[in-house]
Amino acid sequence: MVNATYDHIVAIILVGVIFVWVVGVLPATSLVSINAADQQQLRNTGLNVFNAMLLDTGEGFNETANQNTTNWGTLDPFEAEDIIRFGLASTEDSASYVLDPDKVQRLEIGNPLGTINNTIAKSLMELEGYGFALEIIPPFNVTNVDGTKIDGNNSPINIPALEESRLEYSVRVCYLDGRPIPNAAIESIAIYSNRNDFTFDYGANSFTNQDGISSATYGLDFEPLHITVIMRISVADVATMVVTFGHNPVRIIDINLVGDEVSLTRPKDSPNAEVKLHKVYSYSASGVLTHLYDGIQTGADKDHFNTGNGQRFWNKTFPGLKSYDPVIMVFNIETVPPDGTNGNQEIVVAGPYQNLLGYTVFHYGQIPSNSRAAIRMQRSVIISGMTYTAELTLWEE
Amino acid sequence: MMRKFGNTKGQMRLIEVILASFIIITALGFTNLLSITPTSPKYEATELEKLGYNVLHDLDKQGLLPRFIYNAEWTNVTSALRVTLPMDVYFNMTVYDSNNDNVAEGLYYGDSSTFSDANTVASITYCLSGYSIQTGPGQFEAVYDPRILILQLVRI
Repeated sequence: MVNATYDHIVAIILVGVIFVWVVGVLPATSLVSINAADQQQLRNTGLNVFNAMLLDTGEGFNETANQNTTNWGTLDPFEAEDIIRFGLASTEDSASYVLDPDKVQRLEIGNPLGTINNTIAKSLMELEGYGFALEIIPPFNVTNVDGTKIDGNNSPINIPALEESRLEYSVRVCYLDGRPIPNAAIESIAIYSNRNDFTFDYGANSFTNQDGISSATYGLDFEPLHITVIMRISVADVATMVVTFGHNPVRIIDINLVGDEVSLTRPKDSPNAEVKLHKVYSYSASGVLTHLYDGIQTGADKDHFNTGNGQRFWNKTFPGLKSYDPVIMVFNIETVPPDGTNGNQEIVVAGPYQNLLGYTVFHYGQIPSNSRAAIRMQRSVIISGMTYTAELTLWEE
Repeated sequence: MMRKFGNTKGQMRLIEVILASFIIITALGFTNLLSITPTSPKYEATELEKLGYNVLHDLDKQGLLPRFIYNAEWTNVTSALRVTLPMDVYFNMTVYDSNNDNVAEGLYYGDSSTFSDANTVASITYCLSGYSIQTGPGQFEAVYDPRILILQLVRI
C-alpha cells in the first residue's frame, strides 16, 4: 500500500514535469511557433523602422559648417556617407508624418545632386539581414480620358485648330481602384511660348463630372510652339495633386530644387546648344504661380550657358522659397530644340517633381521577395502640402 | 495472488499514461490558444487602429475634420477618408454628439456585409471638442460642442 502511494506521488511529479516541459519546450521548438515569433519580431522591427523613417528628422554632417544638421536633405555637396541617422520627417513642421521633400528627393536614384542608395539606407537603419521597400502612393490617379497614363506620348492636350490659337484638354480623375471621382476641383494654368514670346493663362476652375472627367478650353494669345499645362486637383480639400503635361515636350535641361536653391543640370543625351535663361517661376502646392527671376541677357553676369552634359551649370538661391511649398519650377529658356527645327526659340520647361511625386507610385528599395514572409505597413503622410500614403514592406533575407 | 497484484499495477500505469497524454494534448491546445501569431486578428486590428488614428489626426491638424463634421459635409468626409486610407481598407464612420445622439451614420466605403462578416474590425474613437466662430476682425469665439467619431476599419 505504501509502495503504491509512493508510485502515485512519483507519477504525479513526473506528470507535472511533463506538463511544464510540454508548455515550456514544445512551443519553442514547434515550427509554427518559430515562424510566428519570427514574424512578430519582423513586425516589431518594421514598426520601429517605419517610425524612424517617418517621425525622425534624421541627422547628417555638414562639412562646410563643420557641424551636424537635421536638414540633411539640403547638404551641398551631398555625400551619402555624411548621413549619420536616417529619417525623412520635416524639421520645420512640428506635426507628425510631415516629410521633408528635400530628404525624400534623396531617395530618387538618379538624382543628379546626390542620392542615398539602398545599401547605405539599410546600414543607417541597421537592417542588415532584412530587405525593405518604401513606396509613396498618390491618393488618386489622373489619366487621359481613355485611362492611359499621361506622358510624352499620350498627352491630354488637343489643339484642334492651331490657327485659332485654341487649346483643349480632358483628363479623368479616379480612385486608385479605377472608380471615377466626381466633383474633384480642378485649377489649371497653361504656360506657353513660340519663337520670341512667352506668356501664361489661368483656366476657369472646374469640377469633374460623374465619370470623373473634366475638360477645359483655353483661348491662347498666340500660336504656341511649346506649351506646359499645370493642373492642381483637389478632392474634398484634403488630397491635392499637381500634374504637368505638355504638347511635344522637349528635354533640354533638368530642374533641381533643394531647399531654397534652384539649379539646372543637363540630361546626358541633350544637345550642347547654348541656353539663355529668360524667366523663372515657381508653382506652389496652393496653386499660385510666382515670378522669381528675370535672366540677365547682357554683360559679364549674363545667364547664358554652354556647358558639358550631366553637369550642374546654373544655380540660384531664393531665400524663403521652401516655405511656399514649391512643387513645380517653370523656366522660360531660349535655345535650339533637340530636333533643330525652327532654330533658336523660347521653350517652357517645368520640373522637378514629376519623376518623384505626383501621379505615379514612387518606389525605393528592393523588390519584395515572394519566397519569404513579409510584413506591410501604411501611413498617411504629407509632402509639400500634399497627402500621400507611405507603405513599408519588410522581409528577412 | 502475486500475478493478480502485478496486473493491477500495470493497469494503473496505463491509466497514468493516458492521463499524461491527455495533459500533454491539453497543454498543446492551450499553447495554440494563447499564442498570438502575426496574422492573428489582434495584430491586424492594432495596425489598422494606428492607421485610423493617423488619418483622423492628419485631417484634424489640417483643420478639415472639424469643418466637415460641424458643417455636416458628409460627402467630403467620405471622399477624404477614401483618398487618404489605403485602397484595400474599408471604413464605416458614425458621429455622435455629447448626448450620445447619432448625428451621422452611413459614412462608409464597402459593403455592409464586409463589416458583419469580417474576422477583424478595428474601431477608433476620436473626439472633437468644438469649433470656433469669428465674432469680429481677428476675433474668434470657441464653442464647446463635442462630437465623438467612431471609425471602423476592415482590410479586405
